[in-house]
Amino acid sequence: MRKITVLLLGICLAVTTTFGGGYQVSLHSMRNIGMGLIGTSLAYDASSIFYNPGAMAFVSSKFSFSGGVSLLMARTTFQPKDVIGQYNIDNILNTPLYFYAAFKPFDDLSIGVAVNTPYGNKLSWGETWQGRYLIQDLAFKAITIQPSFSYKIKDVFGIGFGLVFAIGNVELNKALPLEGQNGTEGKATITGSTYNVGFNGGIFIRPTKGLDIGVSYRSRINMKVDEGDATFTVPAALASSFPDTKVATSLPLPANLDFGISYEIKEKFLIGINLCYVFWNAYDTLVFDFKTKTATLDQTVAPAMYENRLIPRIGFQYRINKIITARLGGYFDPTPVPDDFLNPQTPSMNQIGLTAGLSVFPFKGFSIDAAFLYVMGMEREGTYSPENFSGTYKSQIYIPGIGLTYNF
Amino acid sequence: MKKLIYILISLVILAGCEPKIDELTPTRGSADFTSFVTVGNSLVAGFADGALYKSAQETSFANLMANQFKLVGGGNFVQPIVTSEYGVEFPGSMPRLKLGYATTCAGTSLGPIPDIGPREPLGPVGYLVNNLGIPGAKSFHLLVPGYAQMNPYYARFATSATNMVVQEIPPLNPTFFALWLGNNDVLGYATSGGVGDSITDQQTFGFAMGGVIQSLVGNGAKGIIANIPEITTIPFFTTVPYNGLVLNDSLAKLVNHAMSLFQLPFIYHAGPNPFLVPDPTSPHPVFKVRQMQPGELVLLTAPQDSMKCYGMGLISSITLTPWPIPNQYVLTQDEITNIETAIAGYNQTIQGLAQTNGLATVNMNAKLKELQSGMLWDGVEMNTTFVTGGGFSLDGIHMTPRGNAVAANFFIQSINAQYGSTLPYVDITKYYGVLFP
Repeated sequence: MRKITVLLLGICLAVTTTFGGGYQVSLHSMRNIGMGLIGTSLAYDASSIFYNPGAMAFVSSKFSFSGGVSLLMARTTFQPKDVIGQYNIDNILNTPLYFYAAFKPFDDLSIGVAVNTPYGNKLSWGETWQGRYLIQDLAFKAITIQPSFSYKIKDVFGIGFGLVFAIGNVELNKALPLEGQNGTEGKATITGSTYNVGFNGGIFIRPTKGLDIGVSYRSRINMKVDEGDATFTVPAALASSFPDTKVATSLPLPANLDFGISYEIKEKFLIGINLCYVFWNAYDTLVFDFKTKTATLDQTVAPAMYENRLIPRIGFQYRINKIITARLGGYFDPTPVPDDFLNPQTPSMNQIGLTAGLSVFPFKGFSIDAAFLYVMGMEREGTYSPENFSGTYKSQIYIPGIGLTYNF
Repeated sequence: MKKLIYILISLVILAGCEPKIDELTPTRGSADFTSFVTVGNSLVAGFADGALYKSAQETSFANLMANQFKLVGGGNFVQPIVTSEYGVEFPGSMPRLKLGYATTCAGTSLGPIPDIGPREPLGPVGYLVNNLGIPGAKSFHLLVPGYAQMNPYYARFATSATNMVVQEIPPLNPTFFALWLGNNDVLGYATSGGVGDSITDQQTFGFAMGGVIQSLVGNGAKGIIANIPEITTIPFFTTVPYNGLVLNDSLAKLVNHAMSLFQLPFIYHAGPNPFLVPDPTSPHPVFKVRQMQPGELVLLTAPQDSMKCYGMGLISSITLTPWPIPNQYVLTQDEITNIETAIAGYNQTIQGLAQTNGLATVNMNAKLKELQSGMLWDGVEMNTTFVTGGGFSLDGIHMTPRGNAVAANFFIQSINAQYGSTLPYVDITKYYGVLFP
């Protein structure tokens, strides 16, 4: 049976990584993934640095380390409106990582650092598809490093704060509708990298044993690229109209406000809910401002018009015995993209996520954590009206992942 | 337990290995595309860049439409394909144009230049064709016996030297047709500056179109008719501005001085100025010229070399006297009015005939006006600007492959609306505009 499963996985390694309503990636701890991505009201291990710094000081051990990797396998299909032919995003594997380390110099104070990839988007529609004048391929990646501290007052109230250093890079390729007598088509490539700083703060309350409440806020970070590179491949006669030049652009990583509440019965069964409000309206337009301008090469302004969204999540955990803990969860991630602005650069649709997870504790404090997340991107018809590009999108994502946690 | 998990995972994978979206299911509605016939002029034939050549014919809107019809039972669509990419060779024929560099006194610039290569010698293709598009044909030509002797493009596929073009229709047994005819009834006049040809009168046009449609619907065929666009939406007439004479301050002063010596009342300023054109009614005893008025048109074929280098449209650098742009390269307001009136009449006739015969119509007149201010599909911007607009080929009148794809979609849109079919559109991104060196 296992062999068949592996074989099937192999067949389906048809992969993209657009995951999450927009370009937010929420894969930060196998334990949380198993429980429908909830985390604000949990204080299990060092992953709280990311999920809610206020909960860090509630992690009982002196040291806590947690790390892991997900294997994101997604496939998006596109059917152009009223034109024959379907397109699939080409195979790209993506492996979001996380690593957390926390240390408690005193019982009420915790310090730690988080390294993870909360934002990203990587896809390739291919060189020749119908939407190539909007996008051929895109790789946007942001890694964040977050040193943090947390302090708790008695065992009731915790507060925490961290600075978020974000490092990002982007590469974007698209075709230009300019054809040469030698049969080649024009192309534009934009690359850039940048960094910026934001913050993550949270409050954690344990009014009574078993009941945990958390609120956390991760700030918006503007990934502003001042000196990106724009290169153009165009017929020789047009070369002077499309000079290679520096380009400035900016992509906001949206703020998140999370509220979570969870209740554990007899240290056996846990139920938790999480409400995540994403301030997507930060992503209003994508501007490329070319340093060298010509009559044909001017600042481009692509409206995005993202809207704020609330993601409800629910998760369950059951400690079967001292060795095995099982988890289940689910969530609904509504798309932040209006129907008129559905762009193949970020083929966003409403998503339903179903999760399952398992931790095995070979000895006290150490666990091998596995999670599986299935995301169904619901079929959606839309138009990117600024380019008059219409069609229907649908996606499926499979995300198995594995991690290790050690609390001691 | 473990086995159960594997089974569950396998089921999830199997259930959604690939996200499935229903594919389009084209239907033909009440139309029958088994035998598709197209009738008309060079636009229908797939003429482009001033020539009839292989790849342009293959991307004619007629052929692109036929390809879509094949999805709903459409039959084979035969065109009189030219074997050469450079056109057909016959006395008086012109070579194909390509974009290239030409050097004049004004410097080297990019523009249409002859694309010289081996052309197909004129000769009959020897098979029946579905595309009866004939470059140069006017409406009434289709009812002229022996027209093949007057038009070499028709001679290539005429089944008899004495035939009328409409006699080619019955053997094809059309079940569906597209007709775009009548453009040349004004274009002959318009492209010769109103001096080399005459406009077909409304009565003749109505009679000819009626006759052509009768032979098409004779067997109960359904079809679609396109109407005639305004010439002001075609780059052949709009590329050279009436006031394309750009002077600097000192030159303008010098010209003003010269004009006063010639006793001509024209005032020139730094910046753009109107060209001079012939004016037989001028009271001036010697120089029968006037300045062009806004709205008047200079043709794309006007000798721009002479205009840029030797003072045509102003003062000849050789004779040092006023030198108007010759009449055959200019459309005056009166001539434009004649053309506009004729087109309006033709389009009324076309509309009436379509209604009488229950045919679909495609309003190319309106579509081209829309295109004038720019249209956008799949990230491709198009407009009616010469070369960069993407829709018109280098002769400024006929369409590029991309322009043909868009035209085919206009036809398909109207067919779907009239006959309840769900023909898919042509993917315009598969077809190029003007090719650059």
